[in-house]
Amino acid sequence: MNEAPRRLHPGTIVLRIVAQGPQQIAGLVALAAATSRSGFWPMIGIVSVLVVGAALVTWIRWRSFTYTIGDGELLIADGVLHRKRRSIPFDRIQDVSIDQKLLARPFGLARVRIETGGGEADEAKLDSVTLAEAARLRAVLRGTGPVTTSTDVTSDEPPRELVFAMSPKRVLTMGMFGFSLVWVGVLFAGLNQVGDVIGFNWVDVRDWANVGRQEAIALATPLFAAMAAIVALAIGAVSGVLRTLLIEHGFRLEREGDRLRRVRGLTTRTEIVLGLRRIQLALIEHGMVSGRLGWAGLRLQTLGGSDDVGGRQSVAPFAREEEITRVLAAAGYAPFDPLPLRPVAFGHVLRTAIVRGGVPLIAVIVAAFFLPLAGLALLLVPIPVVLAVLARRRHRYAIVGDTLQVMRGVLSKQIWIVPLARIQAVSVRRSLLQRLLGLATVHVDTAGAKGMGRPNVVDVAFDDAERLAAALLC
Amino acid sequence: MPPDSLERAVLPAYHTAMESMSLPLAPLDRRFVTVLRWRAAVAALPILAVAGAAEAVLYRQDLPNGIVAGIAVLVALWIIAIAPSRRFAHWGFALDERELHIAHGWLTRVHTIVPIGRVQHIDLTQGPIERGCGVATLVLHTAGTDHSLVTVPGLARDQAEAVRDRIRSAIEASPW
Repeated sequence: MNEAPRRLHPGTIVLRIVAQGPQQIAGLVALAAATSRSGFWPMIGIVSVLVVGAALVTWIRWRSFTYTIGDGELLIADGVLHRKRRSIPFDRIQDVSIDQKLLARPFGLARVRIETGGGEADEAKLDSVTLAEAARLRAVLRGTGPVTTSTDVTSDEPPRELVFAMSPKRVLTMGMFGFSLVWVGVLFAGLNQVGDVIGFNWVDVRDWANVGRQEAIALATPLFAAMAAIVALAIGAVSGVLRTLLIEHGFRLEREGDRLRRVRGLTTRTEIVLGLRRIQLALIEHGMVSGRLGWAGLRLQTLGGSDDVGGRQSVAPFAREEEITRVLAAAGYAPFDPLPLRPVAFGHVLRTAIVRGGVPLIAVIVAAFFLPLAGLALLLVPIPVVLAVLARRRHRYAIVGDTLQVMRGVLSKQIWIVPLARIQAVSVRRSLLQRLLGLATVHVDTAGAKGMGRPNVVDVAFDDAERLAAALLC
Repeated sequence: MPPDSLERAVLPAYHTAMESMSLPLAPLDRRFVTVLRWRAAVAALPILAVAGAAEAVLYRQDLPNGIVAGIAVLVALWIIAIAPSRRFAHWGFALDERELHIAHGWLTRVHTIVPIGRVQHIDLTQGPIERGCGVATLVLHTAGTDHSLVTVPGLARDQAEAVRDRIRSAIEASPW
């Protein structure tokens, strides 16, 4: 069963040197400048010795790294002086993902990441091997493929079934909604920096305009502002499209036995595999504008080993309702139906209004005491109240079958579908204000959640909270 | 042969297994108040030290003495003498054959339920203060995120061990 130890592809050496190049160039230039006083040839000599030395070190490090597919385990040996051996049993391997950086593509190389569910530090990386070897490794490590050296591994894999794919048109449509002013800000900040360097300055532009006709400014300033706004909007739209195109180009989600396989990306092609058993919950997200037009995104929360901060893998970033339903079905979830969901207690309106609107209201009243005109801001008071009423209408929950379904969000909408078997712990919390209003929040803890956005049910009547908590853990 | 305190904590669970949220919670071991008191005393030391330093500075500047120290002493008295027993009163704990319930909190009340089958592993810890008072803390690890650690402090040492053994046998019996 044991194979001979293998090394990474020799192209890795070139790849590493090229990848590290940009960081080293500054150092090389500085070194060249420092040694240039001693003449041209010694300088060339020192620099070339260093380059050769770096190549040698990279080569030695490449030589010392071997991996072996043993009997039911993957052995990785690494290190020149301090030798390190890792053994990863196949049944501990949660995920084998393959990605291809832009630089690696001409070489036909790919990076294989082996995730063991113990966080990023515990994952093993094979950077880089050929694509065929990557595919073979994936098949072997999952325990499905044959332990052969043949590159033809597709024959033994379970049949692939396309679940969801995005056409270029779809990606562009998604990009239009990916409009973000953040990038405009970044760009303008960058322009300011560059402007300082090349002597171009916004102040200069203004002065330059001043030289023209003083009266024109009264007309030109709003015109300039309008133009700047249009440019900003255009940049926002274009950057949104570009960013989306880079990430989502050629999105394909396939089902392969009990795994979902996702491929996407323009420059960096990434491929991830999600075991269906590792899925903890499904999250459907409707955007503020795109959601109104019938688009939604679906993410699945998995236990560790994910490439995004949320611990949630996007499996349908921009899809119609029936496509979401199809992906959900592929992941073993029933379609989402909002009908049985019921809103949380009326107290949620009061609490939201007090928490969101109370402080501004007090501030306005205090301000109006000193400056009566500020009292006009009281006209804005209905806004938080309307938002609070809407927040309660939109925050709904129910136990449907063996899942907890929670819906939340006024402008954008989020829907969680949590199988009851995936709930790790439940806690009922009551703050002082909630106790006065007879409310409680049910916190639902799942594995692999990171950052914001939990399937919590906020502000239900205390009795309902107790009943819900008991029902969740049945 | 579980001790009496365990019987009190565990037995009511059998009768109310259906209405699990309204499971009557048993108080923790009385000696836990002493633990809280000692911890508060340790926490009060820096407050008193800072107040003492402030008094010294005020004395040098010929400013009125006694106010800062007085407030600090009042705060220390509150957190050492009065707060521990109040905090203790809000702690509650219950265990039935499927779930562990733990409640605490004075301003924000928190009632956490952990299904025993979801417990990954269990630690039994005892700090120096706890050892002196004969109580122990049970730490349950789950695969969750916010409640990946659920601590049950202030159980008598033998009770904590009995609870740990019960949970352990339940984990071994559960399918995954």
